[in-house]
Amino acid sequence: MRELFILAFFFIIISCQGQNKQLLYNVSWLPQTLMSNPGANITFDRHFGVPFLSQVHVSAGSTTANLHDIFEDSDADINERVTATIRRLTNKDHFMVNEQLEIVSLGWRLNKEHYLSMGVYQEMDMFAYFPKDPAVLVNEGNNDYINLPFDFSDLAFTGEILTVYHLGLNKKINPWLTVGARGKLYSGIFNVESTNNSGVFITRDTPEGPNYYRHFAENIDIRVNTSGYASLKGDGQSVQESTKDLLKRSFFGGNFGAGIDLGATYAYRENLIFTASVQDIGIMLQRSDVENYTYRGSYQTDGIEPLFPDVDENGKTIPYWDIFEDEVDKNLKDKTLNESYVTWRPRKINASVEYGYGKIFSPCDYRRPDNRRHKSRVGLQMFGIHRPKTFNMAMSVYYDSKVTKTLRLKVAYTVDDYSFTNLGFLISKNFKNFNAYLAADNIFGYLNLAKSQSASIQLGMQFIVTK
Amino acid sequence: MFSTKKSLRLVFLLLLLMGVTSCVKDVDLSKAEEISLQPDMQVDLLIFEVTEQDFIDFGTNQARTVIRDTVRLEFLDDDYIQNDLEEVELSFKYINSFPQQFKSSISFLSESDRKQYQVDFDVDPGNKNNPVPTEWIEYIDNSNIGAIKRSIKMVVELEVLPNAQEFSGTLNFQSKGLFSFQF
Repeated sequence: MRELFILAFFFIIISCQGQNKQLLYNVSWLPQTLMSNPGANITFDRHFGVPFLSQVHVSAGSTTANLHDIFEDSDADINERVTATIRRLTNKDHFMVNEQLEIVSLGWRLNKEHYLSMGVYQEMDMFAYFPKDPAVLVNEGNNDYINLPFDFSDLAFTGEILTVYHLGLNKKINPWLTVGARGKLYSGIFNVESTNNSGVFITRDTPEGPNYYRHFAENIDIRVNTSGYASLKGDGQSVQESTKDLLKRSFFGGNFGAGIDLGATYAYRENLIFTASVQDIGIMLQRSDVENYTYRGSYQTDGIEPLFPDVDENGKTIPYWDIFEDEVDKNLKDKTLNESYVTWRPRKINASVEYGYGKIFSPCDYRRPDNRRHKSRVGLQMFGIHRPKTFNMAMSVYYDSKVTKTLRLKVAYTVDDYSFTNLGFLISKNFKNFNAYLAADNIFGYLNLAKSQSASIQLGMQFIVTK
Repeated sequence: MFSTKKSLRLVFLLLLLMGVTSCVKDVDLSKAEEISLQPDMQVDLLIFEVTEQDFIDFGTNQARTVIRDTVRLEFLDDDYIQNDLEEVELSFKYINSFPQQFKSSISFLSESDRKQYQVDFDVDPGNKNNPVPTEWIEYIDNSNIGAIKRSIKMVVELEVLPNAQEFSGTLNFQSKGLFSFQF
């Protein structure tokens, strides 16, 4: 059993590495750790978050570009900087904005082995790959790119705003193994996705052809799915009506879905602990207020061909342009549809190995199922998140220490797609049963946010009872 | 061990440090107003091929020396042309296997058929075994771009200059525009 678990753990480590809320992962004294690993080892017996304030999380990242790249205070032409930045970016570069707000969070120990937790949070997640080829076409045109294709598969983005209702159970199987699961119901407020686009636009040099060039739009297949957008795009709805509509959607008045988190913690030895979890194995059915925009087809042209003379046999002027437009519309079809679609939530995987050292502390209460914990811990954590075209990963090493009976600190160094210098810290302070915490990533980035490619902050306050 | 007071002080200092040191510097965000997209688009315009048959009047069945055709270029009326077009480089190419010379006149007309811009040049004679290319590049800078923006039609007029040789052959026409925008 132990060997099997270790094998499974290392399989996860090999197949994914990553970045995310690493500062809140494996933090056994904070309820938020259950949100990234429902099978975490926890040291508390009851918690109740201050509504809307138990966790505020905001993060943003850009893999290559930052504000300074464009707006550097110098005499250089800003448009040359824009062009240079666009040329430097690739279609694998991406931008991300994520926000989470815990509305309700509570939990309590059912018995020695079980801890039940539940809550509601709102999440916004926006993710876009850099649309390299369309961006170059718009910024520079095709003049310097004759015979080179502009690939529309570079266009890939997702965005969603939803409310999540969740219920989780943490179960201690034996002194070495803790497992957990969290069921989630998603209430969709807004969704947009455009992920499987294809087709190229190319202008070919045609020295033997009828004109200088021939323009090709080949196998264009672009689709943008939206839900919760059509009713808001200005059909006379007032701000009050829109707000009422959005609130209704938060309570399953719009689209919905379901998902699950799974996690486990395994103590190989008292001071060597392995963890792993998967989050948001979930699906959303987008069926309400849906609008899809599609553009499909193939077409090629050398230009418009007048026939001489410019009147037909009936003496009427030949409408060459109208004929050309009809031909384009016939071959490249632009449609707006109302078709339901399915989206998958961005799945996340966490895994860690942690080594404890220093003074051991343990509860006197025999009812507490918690393993004895060392004062200080160092660990290695991997995180991966599934995005439309890639699996984005990060790896962190961390040091976690109980500074005083009521103060804990965690410091983490993370390597991810956004930064190689991401040093973050978590500070958590208990005032009797009241807890406040602050976690900030990439603290060097705060010295000059213009040069930072990522920033992430989590803070919250709650009541935590430990018997 | 830290006392609670010291702990609070540490938290406060860390928050203060983040607040004080976090800043956005060495950037000038007012430059955002200077950002523009400046694509240069190569776009095919008109093509045609005429033979001696095209110089026969359908109505009278008589030979004529001048033929013309008009094509509406509706995109010239679009917002991106009207607001953001900076300059145009027009390229025209004839490949002539007629042994006669032609006068080519390419005009841009407004909706009311008022001539806004005109490009005139001669097309060199060739022969069936050795068609001769004649190329003309017309650069319309920003000071004259209004003429293109006021246009909606492109008229191509060809006048053959008869000579002693047989009027037989083909005349191919190619054209493109390099449209430079600033959005």
